[in-house]
Amino acid sequence: MFKFLLKTAIYFVLILVALELLVRVFHLYPEDSPRYIDEYGVEKRVPHYRGYSVTGNRLQNFSEYRINDQGFNSYREFNPSYTKKELALIGDSFIQGFHQNYYNSIGKKIENNTSNLEVYEYGYAGWDLADQLHLIHAYKEAFAKIDKIVVYVKYPMDFERAVYAPNVDRIKLLQSTSFKIRDNIKLLYYASQIGILDPVKDLMVNNIENGNDKVEHTITSKDTDSLSIANFETLINTYPIDKSKTSLLLDKRNTSRIFLEYCAKNGIDIIDFGAWFEKSKKPVTLIYDKHWNNNGRTLVAKSIIDHLQL
Amino acid sequence: MLFNSVEYLIFLPIVFFAYWAIGKFGNLKSQNGLLLIASYFFYGLWDWRFLFLILASTVVDYLVGLAIHQKQSQQKKGKLLLWCSIVFNISLLGFFKYYNFFVESFIDMVSLFGYTIKSTWTLKIILPVGISFYTFQTMSYSLDIYYKRIKPTRSFLNFATFVAFFPQLVAGPIERASNLLGQITNKRSFNYLQATEGLKLVLWGLFKKMVIADGIAPIVDDIFANYDNFSASTLIMGVTFFSFQVYGDFSGYSDIAIGTSKLFGIELMSNFKFPNFSRNVAEYWQRWHVSLSTWFRHYLYIPLGGSRGSKLQSIRNISIIFLVSGFWHGANWTFIFWGGFHALAYIPVFLMGRNTIYKDSVVAQNTFLPTFKEMGQLILTFAIVTFSRIFFRSESLQNSFAFIKRLFTQFHWEEYHHPMGYRMIDYFVLLVLFVVYEYIIRKDERSPFKFKYRAVRFCVYTLVVFCILLFYDDGVDRSFIYFQF
Repeated sequence: MFKFLLKTAIYFVLILVALELLVRVFHLYPEDSPRYIDEYGVEKRVPHYRGYSVTGNRLQNFSEYRINDQGFNSYREFNPSYTKKELALIGDSFIQGFHQNYYNSIGKKIENNTSNLEVYEYGYAGWDLADQLHLIHAYKEAFAKIDKIVVYVKYPMDFERAVYAPNVDRIKLLQSTSFKIRDNIKLLYYASQIGILDPVKDLMVNNIENGNDKVEHTITSKDTDSLSIANFETLINTYPIDKSKTSLLLDKRNTSRIFLEYCAKNGIDIIDFGAWFEKSKKPVTLIYDKHWNNNGRTLVAKSIIDHLQL
Repeated sequence: MLFNSVEYLIFLPIVFFAYWAIGKFGNLKSQNGLLLIASYFFYGLWDWRFLFLILASTVVDYLVGLAIHQKQSQQKKGKLLLWCSIVFNISLLGFFKYYNFFVESFIDMVSLFGYTIKSTWTLKIILPVGISFYTFQTMSYSLDIYYKRIKPTRSFLNFATFVAFFPQLVAGPIERASNLLGQITNKRSFNYLQATEGLKLVLWGLFKKMVIADGIAPIVDDIFANYDNFSASTLIMGVTFFSFQVYGDFSGYSDIAIGTSKLFGIELMSNFKFPNFSRNVAEYWQRWHVSLSTWFRHYLYIPLGGSRGSKLQSIRNISIIFLVSGFWHGANWTFIFWGGFHALAYIPVFLMGRNTIYKDSVVAQNTFLPTFKEMGQLILTFAIVTFSRIFFRSESLQNSFAFIKRLFTQFHWEEYHHPMGYRMIDYFVLLVLFVVYEYIIRKDERSPFKFKYRAVRFCVYTLVVFCILLFYDDGVDRSFIYFQF
């Protein structure tokens, strides 16, 4: 029995080591560049990191990223000036674009189809409108020089809070020992990424949740609209925007009519890429997640160029 | 609890250590007691109410077994008691598995004559997992006692452990008391070789289930759900993949069951002997779901007269066992058609007297490569069996025939894309390598990793686990296909 247990344990450990090697050799693991909160309270990536983002199993989506001087995934550095024509594209993971090669981003597509325009992509996964408006406010000197600002929003998810506060807990969590272990053991990161560890996590979560009574709240769309609009108003009051050069980029098909009417009434410019998506005969998102594929990104770029007459 | 679940990963080592600890310091009774509790716990996790059914089946056949043995001199009473067991188990199965089917079929039949009956008689019945397997196992016990093949056990604990033994409880192999009960009534001691063989089989079974079956499941599901959008080339691929899926799923389950039993010092019968390398349909049935085929041969085909009577009687008997076998799989006409199709494929082989010629040999018995003739036989048999899978997989007979119609009318090549966006070439390479590997090990289904050098063995184990990771898809339903039977 002892021999059996010992040999099983040895084989187990050796197989794990061999798997770690295989996962590294074939680069099956994703690389997440480190994040931090800068002196202006903006959560972003640590500059000068390059790596590969991996989504799905068997390298289903393998793309290169490049974090620039300013801490954003982009093919260019951001040097706004009054003499150049510039466009800032602000948003969450859709704009951050880890699911595409950094040199084939929406910004690059816009630049390729216009002349003398520099596009600065301020994208960061998980950002909502509060983060985005805080960014414009925090870097107001730079944004004052930029000619056009396009803010990508998803309604109503990005309108859930009225006050900005940097997510210190997330940064702490990502710097915690357990995440450091995950980042260094590529097999663990890969296994976590493909979901093979989800049943273990679910089992632990279920055990914790058992016994805790869940209170369910029913939220109507009317509540959502009034809450979202109220949050939007508060944020705009806190971080005033230059309406003459700022536009919201959204999909009108998934946005409440009440909110759209509010924007129209208050002179907030809307770029609707949903109409472009609707016309497309080819898929616009990746198969295994909701991010835009190459076709989707091309259409978003076209919608921005068309609307802003770039 | 599924074999491929985290719960099982926790459950198995706990039971394993407790079992051998009791084995060392305790007695047989406590060892079997632990196995029984573990088995009921394993089964009860699906739905604790199912435990009452298995307990009822166990009690009835335990008492019937003892009573038949006592009334051995009075044949009529023995027969009556045997019928009690059969009627009870068949009623259990009939109600939980077939009640709605019979009601719906009756309504459909009546509607053919212009009458309409509102379907208020059908009930919302949950099919208890594994009911087809354990009822057959308990029935075989009473039948064996009646035919004086075995003596009943006086220990209820031993008998209940035999019925509920968790590795084979929900999907077989359907064991006969002469094999399994005999082992349960004797004290087991830990055997290093047996345990390592068991672990290897568990690993191989997990590979077959998690890589082969679960890997291609999304493709099969997509093709069968949208068959009316695809051309024959895609449909052929879909049904061929399903053939591998159902084989990987069920034989994978059986390997894990046999491997787990070995860890507990118990040998279960082989259930799959590389059926994809069969040279005719008769050989296929000697290699596919062996425990069920054996059950039907012993308890239905032979009592019906087997092949002892005229050719006509034999054909009748063959037809009966295939139709019953089809019906056993599920309460749907598709399964009955599937059984009937196999009967039609088997009868010519039987009439030519070729149904037992490959009984004791494998393809390319003394050579490495098969002859051209054997190659042709393998391909033909695989094609016949795969074609029959259209009935096995389709939701209804109408779907089966519509699928077949497209197969013969929409014959043009089209490129197929994986529903989740994966490269299709990965799956073709995987299946080719799987077939080649199975061909290499075709002579011994119980030793999938028979390599002389430790380094080679280690590389193969690593590769197997690596494949499990590579083909893991968290969107796939991980339950076993045969659990629904």
